[in-house]
Amino acid sequence: MNLAAMQGLLPLLVLGLGAAVLMLQISIRRQLGWSYAITVATLLLGAAAMEPAMQVAPLQVTPLLRVDNLGLFFGSLFCLSGAVTAVISRDYLRSREGENEEYFLLLLLSTLGAVILAYSTHVAALLLGLELLSVALYALIAYPERGTLPLEAAIKYLVLSGAASATLLFGFALIYAALGSLEYAEIAVQISAGRAATSPALILMGAAMVFAGLGFKLSVVPFHMWTPDVYEGAPAPISGFLAGVSKGAVFIAVLRWFLESGFFQYSSLLAGITLLSIASILVGNLLALLQTNVKRILAYSSIAHLGYLLIVLVAAGVSPEPGLAVEAGGYYVVAYVITTLAAFSLLGLISRQSGDREYDQLSDLAGLFWKQPGLAALFTVALLSLAGIPLTAGFIGKFYLISAGVDAALWGLLAALVIGSAIGIFYYLRIIYTMTTVGEQANPGTTADMLVGSRLVVYLLIFAMLYLGIVPEPLMGYLRTIL
Amino acid sequence: MLLLDLIILLFAGGALAWWSESRSAKAPRWLALAFLSLGLLYLLGGVMQIPEQQFSLIPQPDNPQTWLLHYRVDWIPRFGINFELAMDGLSLILVTLTLLLGGVAVVSSWDEISFRPGFFQANLLWTLAGVVGVFLAMDLFLFFLFWEVMLVPMYLLIAIWGHEQKAFASMKFFLFTQFSGLLLLLAILVLASIHANNSGSYSFSYFDLLGTAMSPQLGFWVMLGFFIAFTVKLPAFPFHTWLPDAHTQAPTAGSVILAGILLKTGAYGLLRFTIPLFPQASVDFAPVAMALGAASVIYGAVLAFAQTDFKRLVAYSSVSHMGFVLLGLYAWNILAVQGAVMQMVAHGLSTAALFMTAGALQQRLHTRDMRRMGGLWHNMPRMGATAMFFALASLGLPGLGNFVGEFLVLVGLFAVNPWLAVIAAIGLITAAVYALIMMQHAFQGTPDPQRQLTDYGPREMAAMGVLIIGLLWLGLYPQPVLDVAQPVLESLLAGGAP
Amino acid sequence: MTGSTTAELIPFIVYFGGVILLVLTMLGLSFVLGQRRTNKATNTPYESGVVAVGTSQIRLSVEFYLIAIIFVIFDLETVFIFAWAIAFFELGWQGYFAILVFIAMLGVALVYAWRCGTLEWGVKTRVGLEAKDN
Repeated sequence: MNLAAMQGLLPLLVLGLGAAVLMLQISIRRQLGWSYAITVATLLLGAAAMEPAMQVAPLQVTPLLRVDNLGLFFGSLFCLSGAVTAVISRDYLRSREGENEEYFLLLLLSTLGAVILAYSTHVAALLLGLELLSVALYALIAYPERGTLPLEAAIKYLVLSGAASATLLFGFALIYAALGSLEYAEIAVQISAGRAATSPALILMGAAMVFAGLGFKLSVVPFHMWTPDVYEGAPAPISGFLAGVSKGAVFIAVLRWFLESGFFQYSSLLAGITLLSIASILVGNLLALLQTNVKRILAYSSIAHLGYLLIVLVAAGVSPEPGLAVEAGGYYVVAYVITTLAAFSLLGLISRQSGDREYDQLSDLAGLFWKQPGLAALFTVALLSLAGIPLTAGFIGKFYLISAGVDAALWGLLAALVIGSAIGIFYYLRIIYTMTTVGEQANPGTTADMLVGSRLVVYLLIFAMLYLGIVPEPLMGYLRTIL
Repeated sequence: MLLLDLIILLFAGGALAWWSESRSAKAPRWLALAFLSLGLLYLLGGVMQIPEQQFSLIPQPDNPQTWLLHYRVDWIPRFGINFELAMDGLSLILVTLTLLLGGVAVVSSWDEISFRPGFFQANLLWTLAGVVGVFLAMDLFLFFLFWEVMLVPMYLLIAIWGHEQKAFASMKFFLFTQFSGLLLLLAILVLASIHANNSGSYSFSYFDLLGTAMSPQLGFWVMLGFFIAFTVKLPAFPFHTWLPDAHTQAPTAGSVILAGILLKTGAYGLLRFTIPLFPQASVDFAPVAMALGAASVIYGAVLAFAQTDFKRLVAYSSVSHMGFVLLGLYAWNILAVQGAVMQMVAHGLSTAALFMTAGALQQRLHTRDMRRMGGLWHNMPRMGATAMFFALASLGLPGLGNFVGEFLVLVGLFAVNPWLAVIAAIGLITAAVYALIMMQHAFQGTPDPQRQLTDYGPREMAAMGVLIIGLLWLGLYPQPVLDVAQPVLESLLAGGAP
Repeated sequence: MTGSTTAELIPFIVYFGGVILLVLTMLGLSFVLGQRRTNKATNTPYESGVVAVGTSQIRLSVEFYLIAIIFVIFDLETVFIFAWAIAFFELGWQGYFAILVFIAMLGVALVYAWRCGTLEWGVKTRVGLEAKDN
């Protein structure tokens, strides 16, 4: 391991060191303010460390990790998202009794897992990142101890996640049995060398099991059952982290695995993904219509959004030049992560003094537009972005996806996308409409005592969503150079 | 720059009106009116400076210099998307109409809105800004952006300040237009993708995409995407069902804008994009489109006849009138298209006035049910007289704008398809029936002696006066409007000819 | 599916069938051959003839589990140190520093566990609980 490699891994080192410092701080003197400051500082430093790391990219560090612009870019995105989650959590945890310092420790470790996922070019690194991300999340989901819901959610996530990991491992084992490698690039070499021809069934079965395992993390239909329950039970900022960062990181890992290992050559695999995508879009959007809990609505909407994202994989596989599709995927992930964080941040912020339950019912939002215009604006922009209305990041993402789909002539998927989006508008608008009604419900807190950090984050998120929607060219250009 | 300024002016005016709400409840409406007047003056002042001969130039698709005004900056070079605005005679007419009716809308809801007046005016101005953008955008991506942007504030107008069934009506309105909007987006992207495959680079510019070669089958489907998106907005049978609900539930200013301007964006889209971009497919499709137009004329008229709700009646009459526009556009000869444009403007003015009347009635009587009206002329002679005037305009009385439009459409249509012209002419007769029934139920009959009603004041009469003058001018001396539109339509017809 | 893929799957199918068969045999045999009596002693645990005393569900103190899990974790970490020690000369200084970092991390974890009161039995003296600000 030389100096260049250290430089390339700087973000990971910063995050790891930050976690160690945080543990020492908790050991020496338990103090929430310090823990919070160390966490945010570490995450921001981690994001900033991408800059020196970029100077040595691209660089393969051991067979496990590769430092390249793609990983670095999304790594910094996940660090910043982690910081946003931390800031919102600080506000959210204010009313909570007991020890909250470990919350930030777990958040830091979880973010580290997400960044490793963005770096991974080897099955072992993929699993390492995935487990680090998930194990910390099990504890985070159950952290608030408010009634039984969080516990139920955590156990559900733990058990199903274990099953998914097992499936994933078995799938990788089958692929290993067929090709004798766990390294993405090596797998691609083996496939193109024709070694796959001797045992296509093993590879297909393996790839299918890998997709089932990762599909669980991405919560695509039919592996989505846990999503609404877990999001509902988890504290709102963590639901946002789960929906945004966790899914985003896994998707980036899937994208890498799928493209770098050359699995897009298998048309039957692509057909399978197409089915998963269509099912996710339709089921996610239709079931969202039936919910009255905002977190559950957002959970189903995230299922649908991952369905949209899968179009990228199919388009990249079918199209002669996968560049446009991968670019679309990158943009969509950025837009999706920011938007999802924004939506859940709102729930976290209005729920921060809510006692034994969160303000996550649709009726809790009644009149929010008039009581707390700033927060309502955040949520409105986030919902419009999720719905894909122009001037928001979500629209450009959808525009990109449709371009990629048209380019690859995926008419079936595009039809599902259009129908799904139209259904989606219905429940997004329902939330907006509820916010504009003049409700008699209890006022969910006021903005008056919101911490400065949260305020700042709210404005930043609104700005980011609008900026990406109005001036998308810089990010587009950047993604083009790194993909 | 003038075009960009105009849009920014409206957006800024909206923001300012919103802000002023906290200072005074009356400030927003004055600000809104001031900004709309300012915009109108600015536009007319700018247009005055354009040399006379520019108006008679035929705007060439490949040469922006032949247009009245043109503005363009790079926006998203990755996809060849530009911020490109351009104005020709057609856009000029429609933008002027937009600003004029915007002012009328503000006046019509002068003291109707007490809840958050600033936010109300802001949404009104933002909707108008979106509409102006739609009429000016010459980049399909930008066009789509404005197309969607005008929906969100319009949705809020209905959802927040609407009447009893606002939740249902606003949702229906948004879903219909949004679903068709997605089809439009898909169609635009397919078109751009075909163009990119042909030429090697992405472009969303209207000028580049004109004349894109494609297989007839693909062309048909893409054309259908455009067609559905615009006919939902128009609206034509069978995509019209959102319209009666939205119009009925919207606040007065919302109805005025919806009927007066938003419907025209659909017609504009058909005229500007659908037919010129897909000439062959449009010719093949013309019989179906014209049949839909004729069906709308008759169906709208018959349903209008059956209504008891004043606003619903006017709403269905809009379906009928916009059917003429659809007929005129797909007859695709200069007379018919001139008629369609004329009908768009005239219908905007007359329907706006009728919705204003409906709003005024609702404000005074707290009902829109015509069975509970009657004899109102006695109470409010000024309102009765103006309503009579616009009802006559709407049934196509010669000498008023609507007659010119419908007459030109019928003459143009007769050359293409006499039978449809005959059917559409029947629509004119039914129009007389429902317009007169409306007058009879609401304004004639025995007055209720206990009813104390205030007649139109000077403010309302001023708005009505503007609309009356407009319709009279269009009806008696339509040549200036026809002249302004003539070169544009010739150019579109030349491009769109098979 | 082509012929070769089917052929390739045969070992799997055989293996799968074998597993099912084995399980079914075991369950089936014990079902067929097993005695069915309901005496007083049937359900008592067999402790080499000695009668069991007391309940088997004793409550263990939660500290036991904490200590046990900490033991397992730290015990496992030695595996990595062994691996390093075997290749000590090949890894050189670089390896030395790497294992130093590793051990330092373990040290941090140990300090954390200690200060959180994990290693104490009975009454806990947790750090900083009084001095908390919220």
